[in-house]
Amino acid sequence: MDRKMSVMIVDDEAIVRESLFHWFKKYGHVVETASSGFEALEKLETYPFQLLFVDIKMPGMDGIELLEKVKTQYPDTLVIIITAYGSIESAVKAMRIGATDYLLKPFKPDQLSLVMERIFVQKRLVTQYNYLKGHLEKITRFDNIIGQAPEMEKVFSLIPEVAQSDASILLMGETGTGKELVAKAIHAESRRSHLPFIAINCGAMPESLLESELFGHQKGVFTGATRARKGFLEVVSGGTLFLDEIGEITPKMQINLLRVLEEKKITSIGSREPVDVDFRLISATRRNLKKEVAEGSFREDFFYRINVIMIEIPPLRKRKEDIPLLVEHFLKKYCQETTKYVDHVTRDAMELLRRYDWPGNVRELENAIERAVVLSKSRTLRVEDLSFIRSPELQFSQILSLREMEKAYIQQILEENNWNVTQSAKILEINRVTLHKMIKRYRLERPEG
Amino acid sequence: MTSKKKSVGVVPMGDVPEITLQVIADRITGCFKLPTQILPPLEKPEYAIDERRLQYNAGIIIEAMESMQFGNHDKVIGVLNKDLFIPIFTHVFGEARQGGQCGLVSLFRLEKNPDGSTPPESIIHERAAKVALHELGHLLDLLHCEHKKCLMHFSGGIDEVDDMSLDLCEYCSIYLRDKLR
Repeated sequence: MDRKMSVMIVDDEAIVRESLFHWFKKYGHVVETASSGFEALEKLETYPFQLLFVDIKMPGMDGIELLEKVKTQYPDTLVIIITAYGSIESAVKAMRIGATDYLLKPFKPDQLSLVMERIFVQKRLVTQYNYLKGHLEKITRFDNIIGQAPEMEKVFSLIPEVAQSDASILLMGETGTGKELVAKAIHAESRRSHLPFIAINCGAMPESLLESELFGHQKGVFTGATRARKGFLEVVSGGTLFLDEIGEITPKMQINLLRVLEEKKITSIGSREPVDVDFRLISATRRNLKKEVAEGSFREDFFYRINVIMIEIPPLRKRKEDIPLLVEHFLKKYCQETTKYVDHVTRDAMELLRRYDWPGNVRELENAIERAVVLSKSRTLRVEDLSFIRSPELQFSQILSLREMEKAYIQQILEENNWNVTQSAKILEINRVTLHKMIKRYRLERPEG
Repeated sequence: MTSKKKSVGVVPMGDVPEITLQVIADRITGCFKLPTQILPPLEKPEYAIDERRLQYNAGIIIEAMESMQFGNHDKVIGVLNKDLFIPIFTHVFGEARQGGQCGLVSLFRLEKNPDGSTPPESIIHERAAKVALHELGHLLDLLHCEHKKCLMHFSGGIDEVDDMSLDLCEYCSIYLRDKLR
């Protein structure tokens, strides 16, 4: 276990700060000092100290007041109170507020060692707890797919079920909803998990290139084909092939793939010898393929071939209750990647994140958090750090009267909150009775289904 | 290319038995393989006494030592038979700043066993040598070590000093070798 900690000593007496500073340095801890409670809070804003040694008696903000503030703002930070014999009652009070331990100064050197030993035991238990919690979360959330909304729970329950069969799966969802993550989770849960998972974005390449990528080619069949190359349909051998943006492929390619799915054989470009292939197909689209089939722009037989099982992944605006969870996940991720420490979000900033519609879905949210972490100057994300997010109030594209605007806005808030009147009234800062009256006045109706 | 070997000075402060100084110097040479010399004695550091605690403030003595010249010695260990403290602690057996130039050893509490009895002189010398080497380790930038037998393990009481060996653990040895390179 890593026994190095980040420690801050908060004492108005320089000599005490210095003594403890040198003592902790001898253990290789990251050590910082602060001469007042105010300075300590300022330093905590920029660096997540794990352990604070706080003297009770300090001018301005005393140790108890600092402890209260630290425990409110940074509950994970451990605080050891240092006190003189005369102020033992304050030490008891401190323990009640949440101090981890206290030391009566001057203390024997081994007393400080014992306190640190207890801290390490506690730290180890917390680490173990977080590891196991993370492990369980990974199991239930399929690695990086985060969500507790009922729509996501439905997706989670489908993944292990569909993973057991070999039926083709069509994932439907807007861009950025995490279709590839779901595809990977299905692959990981399937009997093919030890075999390759190959993802191809069909929308990103022209037909000829896609054909060559999927089916492979023989040497010399076209300019640049200096040697034979196996296609992904063959390379995937036994694994899972994920075709993203399947709605973008041409009718000719639809026929070619349909044949492969029916015959389980491919013939590479320039060859006459068919090769047996074995793979599980997962496709994804953001388009309404059913509608396109009805309009005749997508082949019906191919659609039914790839759509044996359909999983719909909801857009983020339909599962806004997951936003805080996702924000927490991305904050952790980008704090690790950027070595910046941002682990708090103000209520206003979270409200802004919840109210925005996220047309780019989870991917857009992830990018926004990454950008905010980079720009943030403290441990707390504030509305100012998210200034690049357009406020939902500004999204009305046409000129509206005040009355129309009020109606549209109330409707928006109600929809965002699943027509929970109490919750919506709270956001609108009006009482429930007024909101009911407005719903009636504007003849707002809850959509069916 | 070989770098110049660090040399260590051992300086008595007030009355300190010659034999104790000799054991400390020998152990430093033997264990850390550093040339060590016993230096002319300094006065008892009366300037560092705390009238309220009737103990000597180790921080003040180290600061005073760091303003002195000790010839060409890179690191200096002061030895005295007065009770040392640093402000937060009731007492210390020795003191040194991480990577500093001067450290201290107090014989005061090493001359008694935890039960109040007096140990044989050889034990007192051994304890003094361990504390001196431990503080010298800090001057050479070694950190406290978790290994209970290692010389760099923190000792809060006399029994822990006795339990500790005169040797560094494998990891601290490698670290010291790198530091001395």
